Amino acid sequence: MATETRRAGLGSVAGAFLRMDSVEDISYPLSLLLSQLSIIIPVFITFFVGELVGESPEIGDDYFTFAIIGMTVSTILGAALSGFGGSLQRAQNRGTFETLLVEPVPWTVLPFAMNLWRIILGVWGGTLIFILGMLLGANYVLSGLLEFIVLLVLGVFASMGIGVVSASLMVLAKRGQPLLTLYGMASSLLAGAVFSVNQLPPFLKALSWLIPHTYVINSARAVLMDDPGTFSIEFSTAVMALLIFNVVIFVGGLWLFTRSLQYARKMGMLSGY
Amino acid sequence: MEYGLGSGYRMDLRGTPVGPFDEGTREGQMTQREPVASGVRVEDLSKTYYPSPGWMKFLVRSNIKQEVVALDQISFDVAPGEICAVVGPNGAGKTTTFRILVGLTSSSAGSATISGFDCNRESVAIRSIVGWMPAEDRSLIMRLSCAENLRFHGRLQGFKGEDLRERIRDNLAKVGLAHAADSSVFALSAGMKARLQLARALLADPKVLILDEPTGSVDPVASHGLLNLIIDLVEKQGMAALISSHRLEEIEALHSHAILLDKGQIRYDGDLDTLRSRLDRPTVEVEFTTAEPVARARHQIESKDLGEVVPTEEETTLQIMLKPDVPMGGVLTALDGELDQIAHLRELQTPLRDLLAQMYNQGRRERTDGD
Repeated sequence: MATETRRAGLGSVAGAFLRMDSVEDISYPLSLLLSQLSIIIPVFITFFVGELVGESPEIGDDYFTFAIIGMTVSTILGAALSGFGGSLQRAQNRGTFETLLVEPVPWTVLPFAMNLWRIILGVWGGTLIFILGMLLGANYVLSGLLEFIVLLVLGVFASMGIGVVSASLMVLAKRGQPLLTLYGMASSLLAGAVFSVNQLPPFLKALSWLIPHTYVINSARAVLMDDPGTFSIEFSTAVMALLIFNVVIFVGGLWLFTRSLQYARKMGMLSGY
Repeated sequence: MEYGLGSGYRMDLRGTPVGPFDEGTREGQMTQREPVASGVRVEDLSKTYYPSPGWMKFLVRSNIKQEVVALDQISFDVAPGEICAVVGPNGAGKTTTFRILVGLTSSSAGSATISGFDCNRESVAIRSIVGWMPAEDRSLIMRLSCAENLRFHGRLQGFKGEDLRERIRDNLAKVGLAHAADSSVFALSAGMKARLQLARALLADPKVLILDEPTGSVDPVASHGLLNLIIDLVEKQGMAALISSHRLEEIEALHSHAILLDKGQIRYDGDLDTLRSRLDRPTVEVEFTTAEPVARARHQIESKDLGEVVPTEEETTLQIMLKPDVPMGGVLTALDGELDQIAHLRELQTPLRDLLAQMYNQGRRERTDGD
């Protein structure tokens, strides 16, 4: 007699995590509300700072729009970067991680599925910043919106890739995401979210080319602003760079994640935390 | 390898080797491969845990300082429709065996197959035919309701739509939780959580059920109900089931195939009734109406070399562990002059706990002698 086997596909697994994460988050309404407020307040702060900052060649003639684009991108890519590691750590600490691993789900599907709700929240937060910025006077070139979305999608995948590499280490290290912490600090400094990369000293400016955030933020300004300042990246250049990042980091990250799980399985440390 | 008393009791379950799992299976699809062996087969399975290499110590500290042999060439089979109780002290290797079977740990040597699928290499296929209930109820998602917990895992199993809804309804009803479908897990009692975990394990109609201390946090009455439910389900659905428990009276009540593990080795593989008949020496308790005849009776028993007199706290009572070839009637014959002073006479059954302790000690003595 033949034995029937079954495996869940990406759609089913992603749907399962999306539902679980959303039901869980919505069951803490105050926390959800406060997290939204923490997105809105910096927009107003930037608005008032923008009132003080004048025109300069580095940032162009509209600092508020310049910074709002950086904040929008950082919020979305930040969620893609840290979402999977956060979900993984929660599952390890709560004791639910092993029950995920014994379901017929290919392990390479988990980084997408466990990150989906965080990415949706990140996109929601980024959209909120973008629209609130517009209401407060940010001046976007709306014809560049489609290119902006392409850049964001590529940036999300690149950030997820870095997140997966970091989570791979966490499977073994159990606590903290050293790589993500380092990358988070580097990207906030080097990618020029609220200032121009041209303001950095030459050696830091050279390092900024290694960060996917740099390409997304500075190319987004090029497609959404009339005067993006002196450091802007051509759309086609950014797309090429991000595609290379995705191939290297994302594929490498998935490989590393699977290897980490296999190694933890061999060492008998999959369940520890 | 010498398995103590167990070598004569191995169950026979042999099948045909099978080809590799079809990695191209899409969502919700079923693949078929022939031929397969049913149930669980473990052959010369070993697992050694090694200390972390130097570079790992930078990431996380481990308490393993030297090699630990968790399993040492164990072999056993569990047939469909059979319950196999895995018993042993802490560190015996029960959980490691279960974790290898569900794919959470890889083996160091030997093989473990479920329905012909190799647990090391065909993990995804294994996971679709095994229902696992871990020892901890933390594995449930506390903020979600019972139905939502099952929905989540059902989708991870690839079920959707009406099929999934029906499975959730049926399995909650099966474990007696239909009324609590919308209750949050954190509001459930320990017994209800255990039942929900069982429902989760049953959701995909598994071929094999692996239950790691299913009654660990459940009160005796609820645990009795849970075990009866498991026995009933295994019988009806023809699953192979592996159960570990520290509650030996529960294991004995299963009247099932039992594997006794100790320090990673199988000390016994067979049914507990046979084990009892091999190890249990009948003990007779004689209760006199007064304390006066006790010393005389003791002298009679000892002078006729009928067995060993076991001390008791009751001064009117005498317990005699009979020698293997001495019938109970021998005691009555020896006490002939005291018969009219006997208030009660009963045969005592040695607790399973004592039998196992006796067997483990015997095994350890054998190993020490061997060294």
